[in-house]
Amino acid sequence: MSRVLVVEDEQHLAEGLRFNLEAEGYQVHLVETGEAALELLMSDAQAFDVVILDVMLPGKDGFAVISELRQAGKFIPTLMLTARGHPEDVLKGFAAGADDYLTKPFDLSILIARLGGLLRRHEWLRASLNHENTVAAPPKPKETFTFGDKSVHFDLLELRVREQTFPLTLMEANVLRYLIEHEGKPVSRKMMLEQVWGLHEDTDTRAIDNFIVRLRRYIEDDPTRPRHLLTVRGLGYRFVASPAKAG
Amino acid sequence: MVVAGRRKSIAFFIALGAGLISVILLLYIGWVLLNWRSGILLFLGILLLAMIIAGVVLNTTFLVREIRRNEQHDAFINAVTHELKTPVAAIRLYLETLQTRAVDEPKRKEFYRIMLDESDRLLTTIEQVLRTGRLGAASRRPNLAPIDLGGVVTECMARARTLYNIRPESLEYRPGPPVAILGDMDEVRAAISNLIENAVKYSGSDIKVTVDTALVDGKYVSLRVSDQGAGIPSNELKRIFKRFYRAPGSLATRVKGIGLGLYIVRSVAKRHGGRAWAESEGPGRGSTFVLQLPIAK
Repeated sequence: MSRVLVVEDEQHLAEGLRFNLEAEGYQVHLVETGEAALELLMSDAQAFDVVILDVMLPGKDGFAVISELRQAGKFIPTLMLTARGHPEDVLKGFAAGADDYLTKPFDLSILIARLGGLLRRHEWLRASLNHENTVAAPPKPKETFTFGDKSVHFDLLELRVREQTFPLTLMEANVLRYLIEHEGKPVSRKMMLEQVWGLHEDTDTRAIDNFIVRLRRYIEDDPTRPRHLLTVRGLGYRFVASPAKAG
Repeated sequence: MVVAGRRKSIAFFIALGAGLISVILLLYIGWVLLNWRSGILLFLGILLLAMIIAGVVLNTTFLVREIRRNEQHDAFINAVTHELKTPVAAIRLYLETLQTRAVDEPKRKEFYRIMLDESDRLLTTIEQVLRTGRLGAASRRPNLAPIDLGGVVTECMARARTLYNIRPESLEYRPGPPVAILGDMDEVRAAISNLIENAVKYSGSDIKVTVDTALVDGKYVSLRVSDQGAGIPSNELKRIFKRFYRAPGSLATRVKGIGLGLYIVRSVAKRHGGRAWAESEGPGRGSTFVLQLPIAK
């Protein structure tokens, strides 16, 4: 049974979510503040499979909670739920490390579908990792990818650049994996949304740009003049493992 | 309202800027004409410097005030967004639940009650926003008629009791001599309701609110709403009546609101020729809000 942590201070909404998620077969735990959520997750991140996080909380807000979690290396899939639906709020949520974002008022079936999607991707990743570990004792080269003086460790959710190590969120790792699998070929934003996020809606595809900005910060020597993660105008992005030496 | 105030202050500062520039030009021309008299020169130099400093200070004050106003406005928009969308989200969630799932009878009743609560909350927010708009419109005069103050207070208290589900002894009314005031029933009721509901909201779990009325100088009647709640630091006592303003700190995020309630109280008091103010011994020591209105002759 999947365990969901719901962080929501509006009691009525929280109880409504609990009723529906329990009806869907989830095990639900409610907390009202960001501090309480952090305490639970920091001590035992394995206790939950997915988090539903409200933004406007008394005390620490949702953005602060998620970025603290990510900084502490807790990569539990998190869906942010908020009344603030401006593009800059959505981007702020993703920048802080959210895996998905939904604005209030939301459609119940969409919420449940997205939650299912997050859990499914998490399961896949875990299954593929377990598979790697049991079938082939040394991890397949696919789980690490080296280009230039950088290497991505998908199994550890880490990116190593020379001596530095950057932790990746699950979604960052998935985006990077997808780009690397299509190395050299242009990939459209829509394709990425479908393949990585599993979304088939006309969502604002700009949300992806934010992931790219963050990835560039890690892997590019000069993020303003990318050499690995190139923009393909009007379409999307292209990953180049070994760019030709620029003069 | 906001726009008019802003336009006025902008016009004032533009005029001030223009005035300063012309004085500086005048001084400069004067300097050219008089530069052979060093005494006058020194005097003019000091004057000029003082002018420039005054200009910079005024400019900064204006800028800071604008920025603060902007921030408050943003906070207000955020709070209103939250207060409008959250009840809708809750109502929608429960409606969808009722539509898609098998819900037993007691649960169904509970869901209906929650949805009614949330629609009341939504209505309260909408009314506060609309009332603020109406109060700000100068063309709209209050619709004056004699009102029995005691009756309005009793009515507002009954409303607060059902809305917040409080025991009768937690909310006490000590009526003074019966008085009639000349006022707009709708506005006076809103102001008194806001004071009582604020006292309840900021009391925390242990609600103990008293409302009393008394005559002042035979000309005014003052309505005092006292609580044993969070209290107010002395530097906030005036500010909390400003439009969009909400006292900073954890309390404001815990207690939901949009920063219009006390502004409405103060505006209503002013429109009726009265005043409204707050008294508090400090944080944690409760507070008293006073609404003073003239008695009908």
